[in-house]
Amino acid sequence: MKEFLLLIRSEESPKANLSPEQMQQHIEKVGGYLKRLSEEGRMKSAQPLEMAGTMLSYKNGQIVDGPYNETKEIISGYYHLLANDLEEAIAIAKKDPRFEEGIWRMEIRPIKHVEGIN
Amino acid sequence: MKSTGLNKTGELTAHFFRNEYGKLVAVITRYLGSEHVETAEDIVQDALLQATKHWDLHGIPDQPKAWLYTTARNLALNALKRRKHHRTYALHQANNTSTAEQLPFSEELIEDSQLKMMFWCCHDSIPEPSRIALILKILSGFSITEIASAFFSNKETINKRLVRGRKQLRNVEFDSPHEQHLNQRLQTVLKTIYLLFNEGYLPSSENQIIRFDLCLEAIRLAQLLSDSELITKKADIHALLALMYFNVARFKSRTSETGELMDLKEQDRSKWDAELIQYGIQFLDLVVQGDTLSSYALLATISGHHCIAKSYEKTDWTTILSLYDQLLLLEKSPIVQLNRCVVLAEVAGTPTAIEELTKLGAQTDINRYYLYHFTLAELYKREQQWSASKLAYEEARNLSKNPRDQEILKKKKQALVPYLSSQLS
Repeated sequence: MKEFLLLIRSEESPKANLSPEQMQQHIEKVGGYLKRLSEEGRMKSAQPLEMAGTMLSYKNGQIVDGPYNETKEIISGYYHLLANDLEEAIAIAKKDPRFEEGIWRMEIRPIKHVEGIN
Repeated sequence: MKSTGLNKTGELTAHFFRNEYGKLVAVITRYLGSEHVETAEDIVQDALLQATKHWDLHGIPDQPKAWLYTTARNLALNALKRRKHHRTYALHQANNTSTAEQLPFSEELIEDSQLKMMFWCCHDSIPEPSRIALILKILSGFSITEIASAFFSNKETINKRLVRGRKQLRNVEFDSPHEQHLNQRLQTVLKTIYLLFNEGYLPSSENQIIRFDLCLEAIRLAQLLSDSELITKKADIHALLALMYFNVARFKSRTSETGELMDLKEQDRSKWDAELIQYGIQFLDLVVQGDTLSSYALLATISGHHCIAKSYEKTDWTTILSLYDQLLLLEKSPIVQLNRCVVLAEVAGTPTAIEELTKLGAQTDINRYYLYHFTLAELYKREQQWSASKLAYEEARNLSKNPRDQEILKKKKQALVPYLSSQLS
């Protein structure tokens, strides 16, 4: 099994316009999906991120704030999961029910392992 | 026992978000002042959104209700702080210094706030369609899209009703009505709930899920009234609850598996919900103990008779007819007379009913109502008067206003075609 980091990206908040009933359905659907993945032992961790944070850069010998992203797109959460290969990780990501209801983007990156170290 | 928001298997209780939306908007409006009801709605929407964002990845917490209330309370407190130097707030604050600082969300306070909200949205000065839209939006947590879909309408129409209603609400005090007005105001609230129920109960195979929810919501609102200690005379509330339970018990059997509408005669009675019928009987028992007889009670008794009948043929039509006669003494409306004729056909035969209906059409303006012609068409069909039936279906279709009814009537008329042609040959 290989490790993957899935970054959930969204513009503004796709959930903001959902009705209360739809929000509950969202939680139930996504919750069920994640539960199945953790029961299969594939989901190592899944966390939402706060909408606001900060960016630090090292520049001219000192740490400064920024630069901040120009786009409205932000990373709103991540999954850390196990899959046999990239294809399987993609297949798992495609089943995420959140895609049914909003403008979401998912970045799938294999976690780099160097032989004999990790 | 107080619910945490979870059921036995650790899932959120059905409609948890929708129901809590209404409760929280009601109680927060109480703190912010009724002129800020829209801010209260935004706050609650935001709290639900935060819950959604957190729970979809973290899983549902052990105490979802407490989680939600804490979040909503903090947001409400922030809104109050931001307005700290605002004059209207200062005035409001002067009356509520002790409570506003902590914003307690007790069950009693929530119930009382919901009741106030219900009477507020059903004020006599607000047009009827706006009342229903306001209740569904503010107190029941339905979105504009959902209301539009349940009403076979569009977002613009519903939005207009809401805007009109909200404008009028600014002149209405957000408070429980005084005792002497309570009963009169209660009648308006009950009527609104009944209209809301009927919107959901319209026979159609479309948007079934949302319309069933509308019926359940009407029952929930009536149940709130029934549980209230403020209201002492509850016979009408119980009668309306009985009526709604008896009707909703038969909701799902009105469409076949292929989506065709089935009338009472064709329905599979084993699909009627026995538990809901039982609730209806319990509430009807409470009504019978009282000494007043309302239209709701008579309608409930009629519906109850249908519910307990073993088959269409074995229905106690004679008793139902006499109940309609009593109903006519209370409200001599052409609609009641129309429905009575359907029963009359079973008791005195179809020709008598047709005769009675024709008379009714001549005396009143009911002949401008599509269901009048629809009923006639059905009766003519029973008497195998095919061309008269066809004409009546056509008339009904010309008078019906929405595409859903027109579609049903078109199908009914088409079903006559084989008989019409056999008559010609």
